[in-house]
Amino acid sequence: MITNEYSLPPDKIKERAKNIRKKIILMNSHAGQGHTGADLSETDILASLFFNILHINKDDLANPNRDHFILSKGHGAGGFYCTLAEAGYIEESLLDTYLKFDSRLPGHPVKQKIKAVELNTGALGHGVSVGVGLALGAKLSKRNYRVFVLTGDGELQEGSVWEAAMSASQFKLDNLILIIDRNTLQLADRTRKIMSVEPLKDKLDAFGFDTKDIDGHNPAEIIEQTNNLDLSCGKPHALIAHTIKGKGISFIEDKAVWHHKVPVGEQVTEAIEELE
Amino acid sequence: MGVSEKTDLRNIMVETFIKAVKEGINLVVVVGDSTSTSKIAPFQELYPERVVNVGIAEQNLVGISVGLSLSGYVSVTANAAPFLIARSNEQVKNDVCYSETNVKLFGLNAGVAYGSLGSTHYAIDDISIMLGLGNIKIFAPSDPVETEQIVLYALKNKGPMYIRMDNGLFPYLHNKEYRFTPGKVDILRHGSDVTLISLGSLVNKAYKASLDLEKESIDVELLNIPSIRPLDRDGILNSILKTKKVVTVEEHSLHGGIGSLTAEIIAENKLDTDFIRLGITEGQFSKAGPRDQIRSYYGIDRKGIYNTIKKILK
Repeated sequence: MITNEYSLPPDKIKERAKNIRKKIILMNSHAGQGHTGADLSETDILASLFFNILHINKDDLANPNRDHFILSKGHGAGGFYCTLAEAGYIEESLLDTYLKFDSRLPGHPVKQKIKAVELNTGALGHGVSVGVGLALGAKLSKRNYRVFVLTGDGELQEGSVWEAAMSASQFKLDNLILIIDRNTLQLADRTRKIMSVEPLKDKLDAFGFDTKDIDGHNPAEIIEQTNNLDLSCGKPHALIAHTIKGKGISFIEDKAVWHHKVPVGEQVTEAIEELE
Repeated sequence: MGVSEKTDLRNIMVETFIKAVKEGINLVVVVGDSTSTSKIAPFQELYPERVVNVGIAEQNLVGISVGLSLSGYVSVTANAAPFLIARSNEQVKNDVCYSETNVKLFGLNAGVAYGSLGSTHYAIDDISIMLGLGNIKIFAPSDPVETEQIVLYALKNKGPMYIRMDNGLFPYLHNKEYRFTPGKVDILRHGSDVTLISLGSLVNKAYKASLDLEKESIDVELLNIPSIRPLDRDGILNSILKTKKVVTVEEHSLHGGIGSLTAEIIAENKLDTDFIRLGITEGQFSKAGPRDQIRSYYGIDRKGIYNTIKKILK
């Protein structure tokens, strides 16, 4: 049985999340570009996954029984890279190359460049289908690994997500855990103003998911709710993780304009001070 | 040669899947309500757990195939080429090609195989589109022997591959000693008067046309192109250098198929040659109707090929 190599308690994960947020601010401002809002929105979810939930060991990624994680919201690459650096999957110095020519860290993750990346995402609505295939593969080959897919909420406007949702339930994939980073904002504006995905829980329930609303910034709750999932219930799981886009930095929080914007000059110092 | 019976290439494809599993290849076939299109029944009877039907959802079909490949399976998709190519284009581009996953895409009933059903059901752009995706290997078998060879190659070698398949009955053009080699042309007839280049479903028409021409002492060099990527550019070049006359024929748009590839070779090598491309007219949708009449209209049948070669030799 593989376990998480860190298995940190929630208070330690909070510290790690703070470190990741600092990395995000510094990396994005250094690169001069980045999806800062999305990176900060998903940070506590990623920290909980990589420091506690995922049964995975960075030195044993080829293990066929390890858990899988797909970042379907590929534009959250910055947050993902900083989490991988904090967890020792990649060297910290690599973050300085973010978005540079031929860097191992382009704006969306590339599996040929970073081992922990499972799929080259960036176009939205792809990760759930691939997660379904991975989860189905476990069932067919009688292995016990779990598959975690992190999507945005605007991403749920893609029809392919619902094709995948239908099949997850048809194939009774109780080893598939869909986490929705529900920050209620997309590139242009509020998701509900553009193309509402509500009532989200009802929709997921109707598609046959075991659905729960959780606080996406509370590691204790993320871990507890994940541990409590019934992995033999015959239904795929969905955790609607309520988050704030740009979480942790007051002038970035909950503003659509920060979807693809980075802190500059004094904003960087201000942001780091706020995180302390 | 000499085998007179005809076989549906899909039956060979499915028999080869069975053979591969028996050889220990950990194969799973993903279909999108396309159990009859893929003629998968004999495989499914033996290995029901190795067939996944995702319903009418091509994007999900490709995505699930990718996931299955990441879990260790050799993933095979088997559905109609037009829907695979168009509907799941982004999944093919990102999840299969860019992510370099071990997925084998079988585009069934490509070209205008669906005849009277019309352009929604044609794949006359599949080679062009797949060539636009960085790395995927592109193969098109011309007869039962080559089909088995290509399927085995695809299942035993890693990486994204697209196999352009046809329906209907196909004669044997190769004996069982034939070995498919990726990146090599297959010279079906050696000749010196004209180079005739074809692939997939039309190679047997080209072969018959070359027999008709032989009766008039016209010596056709017939190149079958089972491997479109990688492409044997030197093989094509050497033949054209010899004959200085070349005709390409394909059940594909004149844009982006073997005709276009041959034009590149001619231009890049500054070849002084006569050149005619046969295919579906560029810049418009194909005529719809019975397949043999479509082929006749575009001159990509036995008679049309014969006439074109007579024309280029004038």
